[in-house]
Amino acid sequence: MAFDIDKLDTFPKLLAHHAQVRGSLPAIREKALGVWQTWAWGRLADEVRALACGLAAHGLTRGAHLAIVGDNRPRLYAAMCAAQCLGAIPVPLYQDAAAAEMAFPIQNADIGFAVAEDQEQVDKLLEILPQCPLLKHIYFDDPRGLRNYAQDALMSYERLQEAGREFDAKNPGFFDAEVARGKGADTAAMFFTSGTTGHPKGVVLTNTALIDRAAAAAKMEGLGDSDVVMAYLPPAWIGQNIFSYAQPFVTGYCICCPESAETIIADMREIGPTYYFAPPRVLEALLTTVSIRMEDAGAFKRRMYAYFMDVARRVGAKILDGSAVSTADRLLYALGDVLVYGPLRNVLGMSRVRVAYTAGEAIGPDLFVFYRSIGINLKQLYGSTETSVFVCIQPNGQVKSDTVGPAVPGVELKFTPQRELLIRSPGLFKEYYKNPEATAEAKDAEGWFHTGDAGYFDPDGHVKIIDRVKDVGRLSDATLFAPKYIENKLKFFPYVKEAVAFGDGRDRVCVFINFDMEAVGNWAERRNLPYSGYVDLASRDEVYALVGECIEKVNLDLSQDPELANSQVHRFLVLHKELDADDGELTRTRKVRRGYIGERYQPLVTALYEGLRTVHVEAQVKYEDGRTGSISADLKIRDAKTFPAAAAKRAA
Amino acid sequence: MSEGRGIGEVILEVEGVSLSFGGVRALNDVSFDVREHEVRAIIGPNGAGKSSMLNVINGVYHPQQGTIRMKMDGALREFHDMDPHEVALAGIARTFQNLALFKGMSVLDNIMTGRNLRMHTNLLLQALHFGPAAKEEIAHREAVELIIDFLEIQAYRKTPVGRLPYGLQKRVDLGRALAMDPNVLLLDEPMAGMNVEEKQDMCRFILDVNDQMGTTIVLIEHDMSVVMDISDRVVVLDYGKKIGDGTPQEVRGNQAVIDAYLGVSH
Amino acid sequence: MKKNLPSIVLGFALLAGLVAPLATGASDPGFYTEVLLGGLMAGVLYSLVALGFALIFKASGVFNFAQGAMVLFAALAVARLAERMPLWAAILIGIVIMVALAWIIERLVLRPLVNQEGVALLMATLGVSYFLDGFGQTVWGSDIYKIELGIPKEPVMILDGMFKGGILVNKEDFVAALVAAALVGALTLFFQKTATGRALRAVADDHQAAQSIGIPLNRIWVIVWSVAGIVALVAGVIWGSKLGVQFSLSQVALKALPVVILGGFTSVAGAIVGGLIIGVGEKMAEVFLGPVLVKAFDLAGGGIENWFAYVLALLFLLVRPEGLFGEKHIDRV
Repeated sequence: MAFDIDKLDTFPKLLAHHAQVRGSLPAIREKALGVWQTWAWGRLADEVRALACGLAAHGLTRGAHLAIVGDNRPRLYAAMCAAQCLGAIPVPLYQDAAAAEMAFPIQNADIGFAVAEDQEQVDKLLEILPQCPLLKHIYFDDPRGLRNYAQDALMSYERLQEAGREFDAKNPGFFDAEVARGKGADTAAMFFTSGTTGHPKGVVLTNTALIDRAAAAAKMEGLGDSDVVMAYLPPAWIGQNIFSYAQPFVTGYCICCPESAETIIADMREIGPTYYFAPPRVLEALLTTVSIRMEDAGAFKRRMYAYFMDVARRVGAKILDGSAVSTADRLLYALGDVLVYGPLRNVLGMSRVRVAYTAGEAIGPDLFVFYRSIGINLKQLYGSTETSVFVCIQPNGQVKSDTVGPAVPGVELKFTPQRELLIRSPGLFKEYYKNPEATAEAKDAEGWFHTGDAGYFDPDGHVKIIDRVKDVGRLSDATLFAPKYIENKLKFFPYVKEAVAFGDGRDRVCVFINFDMEAVGNWAERRNLPYSGYVDLASRDEVYALVGECIEKVNLDLSQDPELANSQVHRFLVLHKELDADDGELTRTRKVRRGYIGERYQPLVTALYEGLRTVHVEAQVKYEDGRTGSISADLKIRDAKTFPAAAAKRAA
Repeated sequence: MSEGRGIGEVILEVEGVSLSFGGVRALNDVSFDVREHEVRAIIGPNGAGKSSMLNVINGVYHPQQGTIRMKMDGALREFHDMDPHEVALAGIARTFQNLALFKGMSVLDNIMTGRNLRMHTNLLLQALHFGPAAKEEIAHREAVELIIDFLEIQAYRKTPVGRLPYGLQKRVDLGRALAMDPNVLLLDEPMAGMNVEEKQDMCRFILDVNDQMGTTIVLIEHDMSVVMDISDRVVVLDYGKKIGDGTPQEVRGNQAVIDAYLGVSH
Repeated sequence: MKKNLPSIVLGFALLAGLVAPLATGASDPGFYTEVLLGGLMAGVLYSLVALGFALIFKASGVFNFAQGAMVLFAALAVARLAERMPLWAAILIGIVIMVALAWIIERLVLRPLVNQEGVALLMATLGVSYFLDGFGQTVWGSDIYKIELGIPKEPVMILDGMFKGGILVNKEDFVAALVAAALVGALTLFFQKTATGRALRAVADDHQAAQSIGIPLNRIWVIVWSVAGIVALVAGVIWGSKLGVQFSLSQVALKALPVVILGGFTSVAGAIVGGLIIGVGEKMAEVFLGPVLVKAFDLAGGGIENWFAYVLALLFLLVRPEGLFGEKHIDRV
């Protein structure tokens, strides 16, 4: 990975470099028609060249923006680079966003060109065309269903490339000259972050910022062109983009696009990624599937699993960290590796994973330890869109479940008296697009980025994040209330999908629960409990008892911690509907929007604190086809068992 | 492969068909035609004779009176006492109302069986999996993969069909029929028992098949709203008799139809 | 989970019976292994006959009573033909005869009876069975004939380094087991990997649907009966060379009945495993259980191998009616 960052200071230059030194090594694979199709670096460079010339022929100019709407597809990544070749700025948009949500970024960035994956995305773009008069060119990758579309703006990817090849033939020096004109300080890409309030903000990132951070992390982990990554999260999210665009362009490794969203695990098993990234939510869902499968397995298998997972919990993580473990335990673990952990890693598609990261939100310690204990080198990572991701990484051998590790080389960190984390790094964003006030608010005169995250350094100099600064509150007795901490503890139970904790300024903590339909559905089936769906289950006493048990365990845990003993959950209710990003209750990255939920379900919160046993709700819901309807139900409210605070123990 | 979707000449003709079981008249002198590339619906209340009609075309029942003609090699030819296998050879594929998939077999194998008709090497070579047969198998697999992609069931290739939810099984059923590369596709209540979302998906698939593969589609449906949205022409049956025939618009305005169907139960 | 309890108990009981002679020291390991191997080899032959049953039952839903008669018929044909020509030629002609027979059965018996009650077809195969028994004797004669495979019959000693005194194995049995195993492997590949195999499975799954997608039912039936015929021929030749070709051969085929009950009617794997279990069980019972019974109850002690298989099958019927590998019939509501 030795290259001169001063010479190869843009992504197009990096692409040319790889096409030259590893032209026949795989760059992107995609499973299509049941077979993995491969683009080598050389092929990718050819695709990009034809595309870039086509876009130039159609009038895409330096500094203009180009929207990219779709899932992880080789051609969409090629389009991203093609725009950069011309000095234009790719703006990836979330493929599952509703049409209306796409209008703002397209207007905001004066977007005139868009590359869409398929009919679904094209339909959305066409729908907002009247609001976006500048949008004149829409190119599509998959022509299915689009044959009879007569809109002038539409053109297929192939036709665009044809136009590009013609243009290239007529202007032979053009492409190379354009690539050469690019500088590190040029904007490489813009990512829209979903704010909890107001419009999303376009985060402007330069080539230098992205390349510097990608290279720093790659160096730290020793990534090279033999690594393989699965690209399965939305490419509009910086987390995916950095792993499936910036880092492969820096190191030359290969990314793989799954056949469809449902086939990811099977595809992972075939590809065997070596470098893996998953937000806690995905890891949680995977573990839930495993747990459910184990519950359905035979008695012998279940007992074997339970026994060896016990061994793993005891010594697995230590072995991974290289700590001292007795020979007997080592042997036992080795046996477990043959019988349980190995097959388990294989089922998860992680047999070859060398380095795995999780980030995006706090991860439950048990969940985190689970993966490490079965021999997957899962580590925590801290960063955001504004920082080109890599701010903190846990180095090998120094992994803890409750910190995100020390700063990655090149990054400076400090905490304000309010415990807010500030960052200075070469990877910081240039600005929020057309939003100087927000930029000034987030980045001060000395170049410190205000993260809004609250935390502190632990004795080893690792950063520990507890919550958002604005969310950390106080109960009415002035003890600390960190809602996310409580919610995360609840969510570790496979039965609990979402939890929303209330308590700021109140005398005690109460929660809303969304149970996991798959896990609880299975549980109900095993107990021969007939049900018709989520709403039905949500009203069952049996389900309340199940959730109550989970809360009780969390309370017992909280009571051990003198700081948080007062945060035990006193009352709870099971929500009548699943929280949904389409209803604005979750962000697109599926974080609960506590404030919004509190307002929206105000009567429920009141009922929790007034000590009622039931409460009537009527709620608007938005169906997937865009229609709205309403649900009405009587929700039960139950008390949870709490524990006396344990005598204050002083931790070292 | 996708010819323009202009509606063409008559490809299937049903003339004066009557069918009785014992004393019960299931079909009474029914005539209609189906044109190339159109979506033709047969609707009617329960017991109107829709399924009987489909089974007559399909060769399951042989009508006592009347003839059925199908365009083969450019000319209309009469079906004469053909059994389902021969009808399939003639280029007519069908799906089933009560799924008749091979439940113990994988999705892939189910759809591959649809290619059986198109396999030209003989059974012995196939059995030995030898030479041209192996090559042919690969070509068929490619065709099947296109269908799997088309129906978006990649995640279930190796799953035994019996384990899939109903909506997906319906899709596999459609996939198996498509694998026959039919000229005419008979769909027997393709939306029955589906929820709204599954129905929408199925409608999209039917229209896409019609549009992209140019397949002529004859579908039987109970659900009026669905039919009116996606068909070019509609035949209405009631008590085994044809009481209406025309575009959805025309059928909606037809008094006999309103009385017999729309007015009564819907 | 709890519903499986009887199966588990039965499984453990079988396992306990299997290891008891060793565990109690009633037998030295060498002799025990010898009995075990002998049982496995006999079991392979049971598997072959059972396989014919399972194939036909799976593909046409017909319980083919004539499978035993087919074994005899094929063996007779090969034995008599081999008197006039080399054995390989006799076997080739035998195969042709079995395929022709399959074709005739499809034409004259199955096709007219299609869509009739299962009982009608069962009776029809019973008829075929008697016809074949009789017709075979008419054509080929009713003496005891020999088939010489040219493999020495005398036992050889193997593994004498491992066990004291070594283990005696009949070389012919050994070859027979290999041939049977190869045939089973080939059949599995044929079913799982070829287009014809796929069509066969489709027909087995749903006749009507298979027909409507253009799978020719009649041709499939001919193929299945041909395959069953060939399997019968292999079983007949091996068995015939061992015991001599005679009428009792078709009775041996009745042993296949407990085998398919044990393994499950529709399962190829079941037929194989079932055959092995019955083979081993019988031998074990004969050698180890017999003397115990004699001692304990002062019985005569003979003929255990005649009834043991059926008792085992009966136990399975009680505990696990669908057999080891059969499809469970669960009616979904």
